[in-house]
Amino acid sequence: MEASNSTNVNKPASFDVLGLLKTIIHKSAAIVIFLIIWQLAPTIGLVNAIFIPPPSVVFIEMVKLTLSGELITQTLASLSRVIFGFGLALLVALPLGFLLGGWFKNFETAVDPLLQVLGQANPFTLFPVFMALLGIGEISKIAIIYWVCQWPVLFNTVTGIRNVDPILIKVARTAGLSKLQLFWKVLLPASLPTVLTGIRMGAAFSFFMLIGAEMIGASSGLGFMIIEAEGTFQISKMYAGIVTVALLGIIVNMIMIQFEKRVTRWKEDINL
Amino acid sequence: MAKIEALNVRKTFRIRSNRTNRNAAGNCDFVALDGFSLSINKGEFLVILGPSGCGKSTFLDMLAGLTKPDEGEITIDGKPIAGPGLDRGVVFQQYALFAWRTALSNVSFGLEAKKIEKKARADLAKKYLSLVGLSGFEDRYPFELSGGMKQRVAIARALAIEPEVLLMDEPFAALDAQTREILQTDLLRIRDQTQKTVVFVTHSIEEAVFLADRVAVMTARPGVVKKIVEVPISREARYSDDVKVSPEFTKTRHELMALLKEEVVKSQEICSKCTIEDCGLGSGRTPVAPLPVPVSLGSK
Repeated sequence: MEASNSTNVNKPASFDVLGLLKTIIHKSAAIVIFLIIWQLAPTIGLVNAIFIPPPSVVFIEMVKLTLSGELITQTLASLSRVIFGFGLALLVALPLGFLLGGWFKNFETAVDPLLQVLGQANPFTLFPVFMALLGIGEISKIAIIYWVCQWPVLFNTVTGIRNVDPILIKVARTAGLSKLQLFWKVLLPASLPTVLTGIRMGAAFSFFMLIGAEMIGASSGLGFMIIEAEGTFQISKMYAGIVTVALLGIIVNMIMIQFEKRVTRWKEDINL
Repeated sequence: MAKIEALNVRKTFRIRSNRTNRNAAGNCDFVALDGFSLSINKGEFLVILGPSGCGKSTFLDMLAGLTKPDEGEITIDGKPIAGPGLDRGVVFQQYALFAWRTALSNVSFGLEAKKIEKKARADLAKKYLSLVGLSGFEDRYPFELSGGMKQRVAIARALAIEPEVLLMDEPFAALDAQTREILQTDLLRIRDQTQKTVVFVTHSIEEAVFLADRVAVMTARPGVVKKIVEVPISREARYSDDVKVSPEFTKTRHELMALLKEEVVKSQEICSKCTIEDCGLGSGRTPVAPLPVPVSLGSK
């Protein structure tokens, strides 16, 4: 799937230290150069160190915030919102997608335009509506995250089910499978790659929306921490928050990709 | 008594014609089969040969129980076909393997519906994989197999449910010439070992003569059986290297070619009157809607 994963395909099984080293250097070179420039630019006065502190300062700030417990508290507050919102989206959108794509095709054709419009509506513009309806507490934030990440999950699930090769369904019918068996043994595994793509997109969306929601109206969470640090001119704390959010995003994406690779092992690896 | 008996079968498809070719109603019915009768004996290898779009795959789908005739009746052992059943194994032109299952697990697919316990399932699947010459490939996924091997797996899958009848819909059409010849010979060997009744659809005359005990030549749409030709070559003689240059082989091939030629010309006249899509439907395939592009952002 990802270009970065294709480098270790078709390698001999024996442990290749030199090759591994090469891969690591190859993959991390850009990041290292970026960090060096970031470190040097404020140090030699190319940019104002007050507004763009070097990564070493940001790193020290992150350690301090971790030790004081603040970073952990805020991260947990954010993560719990994502887990509830995203989890709810999976619980609703997956079954709904399977039903719409597999069993109620005519109904799906009828409601699809409406769903597309709802899915396209900018969630930030909807946030005031959610707050008005659900108050300014946790519920409205979880609800908006749920709202945002249900769409890619739903649309991809519908597409995945609809694109299952009809010949496979024919085979299943000749084998005399019941509707339920057809779903578990054919429709679900055949649509899984597309469904997982939707889930991965949903996970990424949930982080976007989380930070946005926390910046607009919250008293905890990483988004709140960033906006509060900015307001009180704690610039290095603000950067610590930004880096933490980026790292969380990377970790979640990596977990999703590993999960995808595990359950779709039967797919051909394509070297690009 | 005949094993399979088709009597006066009629099957029409209603298709939505596209904008450029719309009649007054906006739809056009076309008749795939009309007055189609055929009887197939137990244990025989019957090849249905016909021009494309003559309804031969439609007939096979009906034998498989995937579609029902509009008129007429098809019976197996005197009982009308009510739907799909494990007394019939089907092999399609597209390999139709489950990409997420290994070769072994693909073969045992039909057995799972039969509620056979796991161990016995694996044993049966292994047995049939070895019958099609794929011992040692049990754990391979379809993407790790060549086209010929994939079709072998599909044949093993159809055989594993131990059906009485094997239905094959142009199973070798997608293979290269060499692989096709090898699989044809292997199919005859498998037939001799398992004594199945085989109904085999093709548009290749050479394939028909080589495989068939009898060849049913079909007319252009609407399809009926034009003539049934017996192939005067014994089953044993087919394994010989020069069976394809024997006088019997050549003679039968010429006979079939002459029969088919008129029909091909006719079917092309029909095709020029309708759209290409109509012809595609005539061969009994599920009408394929233009596939929506799958959403796959974030993948390369």
